[in-house]
This record gives sequence, C-alpha cells and structure tokens, in this order.
Amino acid sequence: MRFRTRAFLLCFVPFSLLLTGSFWAIQNVVQSSVRNNLRESLRENHSSIARLRSRTDLQNSRFLRVAGENASLKAGLQLLLLNASDGSAGIDALRTVEDQLRELCEQMGFDFLLVSDPRGKPLAAVIRSGDRVSALDATPLRAPQRGLLMLAGKIYQIASVPVDQAEENLGSLSVGEIFDFSGFSAPAVLIHNGVAIRSSLLGISLSEAGRAFAGCSGVAECDVLLGGATYFSLPLQNISFGDGYVLRSLQNMDSATAPLHAVLNEVFLTALTVALLAAMVFSLASSRSIVKPISAMIQHLRTSEGTGLLPEFRGDPSPILEMRELTSSFNRAAAAILDGRQSLEKAYMGFVGALANALDARDQSTSGHSQRVSELAGATGAALGVTGEALEEIRIGALLHDIGKIGIPDCVLLKPGRLTDEEFAIVKQHPEIGRRILEGVNGFVPYLGAVEFHHENWDGTGYPSGQAGMQTPLAARIIHVSDAYDAMTSDRPYRPGMSHREAIAILHRYAGTQFDPRVVELFAALAAQDQDTEIESLAEAVLQ
Amino acid sequence: MKTSGIILAVFLALAASGANIEGTAVIKKQLTKRRVTAAVPPYQRGQGVGLAADAESDPLDAERSRVAIWLEDPIPPNVGTPAVAMTEVVRMAQENRSFVPETVVIPAGGKVSFPNLDPIFHNVFSLSKPKAFDLGNYRKGETRTVTFPKPGIVFVNCRLHPNMTGVIVVAPNQWNTKADGSGRFVLKDVPPGKYTVVAWHKAAGFFRQQLQITAGHDLKIEFLIPLGFEDGRLQTKR
Repeated sequence: MRFRTRAFLLCFVPFSLLLTGSFWAIQNVVQSSVRNNLRESLRENHSSIARLRSRTDLQNSRFLRVAGENASLKAGLQLLLLNASDGSAGIDALRTVEDQLRELCEQMGFDFLLVSDPRGKPLAAVIRSGDRVSALDATPLRAPQRGLLMLAGKIYQIASVPVDQAEENLGSLSVGEIFDFSGFSAPAVLIHNGVAIRSSLLGISLSEAGRAFAGCSGVAECDVLLGGATYFSLPLQNISFGDGYVLRSLQNMDSATAPLHAVLNEVFLTALTVALLAAMVFSLASSRSIVKPISAMIQHLRTSEGTGLLPEFRGDPSPILEMRELTSSFNRAAAAILDGRQSLEKAYMGFVGALANALDARDQSTSGHSQRVSELAGATGAALGVTGEALEEIRIGALLHDIGKIGIPDCVLLKPGRLTDEEFAIVKQHPEIGRRILEGVNGFVPYLGAVEFHHENWDGTGYPSGQAGMQTPLAARIIHVSDAYDAMTSDRPYRPGMSHREAIAILHRYAGTQFDPRVVELFAALAAQDQDTEIESLAEAVLQ
Repeated sequence: MKTSGIILAVFLALAASGANIEGTAVIKKQLTKRRVTAAVPPYQRGQGVGLAADAESDPLDAERSRVAIWLEDPIPPNVGTPAVAMTEVVRMAQENRSFVPETVVIPAGGKVSFPNLDPIFHNVFSLSKPKAFDLGNYRKGETRTVTFPKPGIVFVNCRLHPNMTGVIVVAPNQWNTKADGSGRFVLKDVPPGKYTVVAWHKAAGFFRQQLQITAGHDLKIEFLIPLGFEDGRLQTKR
C-alpha cells in the first residue's frame, strides 16, 4: 500500500465514518421527535374526540330523560306490566307498546329501541333498517344498560334511561344508534374480546386487523403493522363500550411522517454527500501534503538506486522537524556509507597493490613492471577517452595482468637465458592461471578480461584463446601494448633494454598483426610526450 | 263576510214545514299536507313499516270536514225544542291510531260509542268541562259508550297515543251538522224564525250568523273560516 493511500485512508475513513454516524444519529433523533409529536397530536385528537363524545353523551342523556318522561310510554308500560300474564291481552299490550316504540323510534330518529321491566328483562324492542321500522322478539336480547350490542350483524351503541312513575320504577328505556366511525377523524378499529369486528380502515380485512392487534391486548399505546404500514394506536379509554369492547384509533405513522422523512432524507443525503466530498478533498490534500516531503526523499533514493551512488540529499530544508531530522539522518548515513565505501576501496586497492608487489618481489628483473604497465595503460586509456570505472578497470587490470605468473615455477620464471619450448608453454599458461586466481573474488570480476586476454594478438595468433581484433576487450589490448613496451625497454639479465625509439618502432612494426593499430598510434603519441617530459625533467636536473 | 243577500220572507201556513239552510264553509288557507301515521293492521312483529308519509288527500278537505254547524239557543219561542231521539248512538271508532271520524256532532243527551278497531290497546278519556270521563284501556273489539247530556265542545284523547284526538260537538238541539270535504252542509227542516247559526272549527273558533227563516224558502249562507296566518296577520274576525 502506498504511503499516500494510507495517509488518505487514515484521514478519510474515520472522517467519513464519523460524518455518516452523526448524520444517521441526527436523522434518527429528528425522526423520533417527529414521531413523538405525531403521537402527542394523536393523543390530543383522542381526548378531543372523547370530550366531544362525552358532551354528546350528556346531551343524549338529557334527551333520553325527556324520552323517559313520555307519559304515553309510561301508560303503555303500565298496561304491559298489568296484562303481561294475560294471554291475548298480553299480546295486544305488547303490540301496543311496540307500536309506541315504533312511533318513538320514528320521531326520535333512533335505530333501536327497547323497554325492559324493572328487573332488566327485555319486554319489547323495535329496530330500524333503512326506512323501515320493525318489531322484534325482545326476550333473547342481552342489551347492556350502556355500551355496544351486536344485533343481526350490526353494532348498536346503547344508552338507557329509567322510566319512573312518581316513586315507582316501571322499567327502563334503551335507545340505540348504529355504531359507525363518524366523528372519528382518525381511522379506528373496534375490537370485541380480541376479535376485530369493525374497522374504518380501507383495504384491510378484519381478520388481518385482529391478528395485528393480538399483541396489543392490555396495552394502552401500541404500534401495529397493517398492510405494510406502521400504525400507532390508542384505545379510546374515555368512552365505555361495555364488556370486552375496545375501540382503538389509529394513525398511520408512515404516511404521516413520509413527506417529512422524504425531505429529511433528501436534506441529510445532500448534506452527507457534500460533507463526504469535502472530507475526501481535505483528505486528499492532507495526504498529499504529508507525503510531499517524503516523496522528494523517495525520489532521491530512487535516483541513487539507478546510479548505485548514495549522494547526500540536498533539498530545501523541510519545515517539518521530523523531515529535517530524517534528512540529516539520511545524509549522515549516506556520508557514513560513502566513508565505508572509500575505506573499502582503499583496502581493496592496497590488496591489489600487495598482490602486484608480491609478484614483483619474486622476480627482481621485472621489479616495478606491473606498476609501470598500469600507469602506461591508464594514460593510454585516458587518451582514448575512457573515464571512470572503465579507466579504473584498465588501470587495475594492468596492475594485475601478470598475477598468474605466481603459479609459474621459479625454475622457469627466473631462468636466465632462453626458455625451451616446454618452458615457454608453461609461461604461456599465466593469463589463465591469473584468471583462475582472480575469478573466485567478486571484486576482481571486471578485470578478468584484462588479465586473461592481454596476450591475444590483433590477428588472432595470440594466446590463450586466439581472439582477433575487436573481440579482445579494449583493456586487454591496451595492456598488451603497454606490457610489450615495458618488457622491451626494461633491462633483462640476458639482454639490455631497448631504447624508446626502438621499442616504438617495433610496436609500429607489429601494429595490425600483434597489436591494435589505433592503440599503438595513441601509445606512441603518448610515449613521445612522455619522452619530452622526461627530457625536460633531465634538463632541469642538469641545470640545477 | 256578509249575510246572504237574498232573504225571501214567505210565510206558509204550514208550521210543520220548515226550510233548509244550505251553506258552505270556506277555508282559503293553503295548508300543508296532513301527516298520517301508518295503518296499524299490517303492523306486526318482524314486518317492517314504512316511515310516516304525507297523506294524498287535500288537507283542506280534512279541515272543512272539521267544521261543525248548529243553531244556537235560544230557539225562537214559537219553535219548541223537539225531543232528541235518544236511541241513536253515534260511533267514533279508534282506527289506525286515530279517532274516526275525528269530529262528531250530536245533540245534547246524545250517545257516542267508542269501538276499538285496532289490534292494539286504546284508551279514551276527556277532561273537557261539559263531560269528563275516562273509559280506561281496552282492546280490539271492545266498545264503550258515553252519554253527553250538556251541550258544549268535548275533546277526547287516548292516554296511550297522545296524537289521537277527537272532538265531540254537543249541540243544544237537533239542528246540527258538520261540513263535508268540500265544505258544504245542510241544516234541514228549520222552522221559520230568527236564528243564530254557529260554525265552529277547533282551531279557528266560533263564527255566528243571524238569519231569518221563512217557511218553504231555503237559505244559502257562507262561512269564511280563517285559519292560521294570512298575509302575515292572524285573522281574528269572527
């Protein structure tokens, strides 16, 4: 994971979680307060309905008291009570009272009328259906003094008034009106012993309503799920409907809160989106600003990786303390590494020098040969435009080129006079021996070519591989020339060294066969300059 | 209102032969239709009864037939008060929660029977001064009879049905009648002499006309009975 991604996520994720969470919480609080308000309004509505009802009840009770004072009804009741046991006269009396009730029913506009004797036994009843009024057998009726009565599939709301004559109670008159939901602004459900029997909810069956309200028995406020919508329900406690009857009014919470919720959702979603976008932008910016100083460092490291060098980091000093510390630590580390590398190089160079010295120490006659060849080859390489590592390769390769001679027996190597063919064959093995010696050390790998092939000729007649022309590495070709020159100009026990001119002449002669002609040319030019400087230095010495 | 314009004074020697007074009770007031309650007989348990409807008949017919007409005492001295046939009993039935007929006119000393034709109990009573009585509750088929010795207006009611009301007009003599639906009436065989004719309507009250009867000459008279408000003013002229 990139540092930038990490910084972004660390910034954005908690930010967005916090935002989303708080928005969610606020929305919930608002919605629940809306719900509570609604609940409160429903309760208010309830009590107003109840007040209205109780006022109507009061008016009804006055009205009923007047009805109870109906003299003809009293006369009829008396007649009925007197004749009740007298067969046909009883029937006629009953019919008389029923007729009176029918008239009363017509005049007072009730849907149901019933008279009972003083013990509460029903005597006569009439019922209105549509525009017709008919009498019915009152005996099986179990009408409450006050409450609801189910009759022929209809529900009547009953109220009663005693019919008294002077001090004597003649019975009671009960009047009923078909119960409906008029006067209820909210939908309502009438429940009798846990069974929904009437409902003003459209599109919801009574059985469904009954099931929904099953969990509400004995609970005042209750939420029910009807037809996929949540309703808040309250029983109308101020209105008594008799045993087992409960009237619950309902308020559709979903539809009541839906418009507000929609608005809230929209507002909150918009706000949340904006806030999240802002959070994202801020997070991006901050992750960028966090990563910026480090990315410069990373860029620096990446470049050093490419070059293999570890230079010090030289950027503008960062305003961040940690970054400054990091930069200086890095720079100190880089310096330490550079130091280490330099001392390693030094040790290495010392080692190479020691090797060369070891070789020179064996053969007095060639003392200083490796050092000289190294200088000559280095100069030639520089003249050829070689720089840096490659030039180092040439210089060190030249220093080590005859290292394989360590493996040549002294009798051969130090033999005065000419070598036999066998002895010369042994000497000719030294490039390969040199390669084998150096090949095991990692640091010497760049010089292997110079060591192995410094006796290859331009025309392919050299050893050990017989490579021709440009096949031979440049370092090897330069060392070949330098080696030959130094060997020719050096004194040997068996012959004196040649002069510079002679040696150059010989080099020229074999350029193109034994030596790379271009190298020889450069070498000669270089040697001439050298000669001049030598002469100059001699002249200086004489004059002094 | 004016008395009949033409009075022919023709004296006939025959004292027995009187003249008829023909007349009309005119009620101009346009009344609302009478409300009638449902008939009782079809009214049985389990059988629905339609709510009250307006009667089809002209309400003025009923009002006209409520007008009673008689000759007021004193009868001129030359006319002796004839004996009233005491055997005749006028019937005022209770039918469909009404007294039928609603108005009867009888001479003093006359009898009225009150048969109950409804399948329900009725009760007939009166608190009127000329004759107060209470016949109690009785069933269909039963009849009670009451004698009315004093002239006057007797209202009868039913305790069980406060809307039932009937009127028995007890006239002082045999010259009494009531108007028919069209308001016409005839007082037959009135001996010659000077009389006061009284018309009575229970809402409008008494109306009197003086007239002179000569034998063999029928008279035509007209009573204009004002009912309720006309032109925004209660008609008090009698």
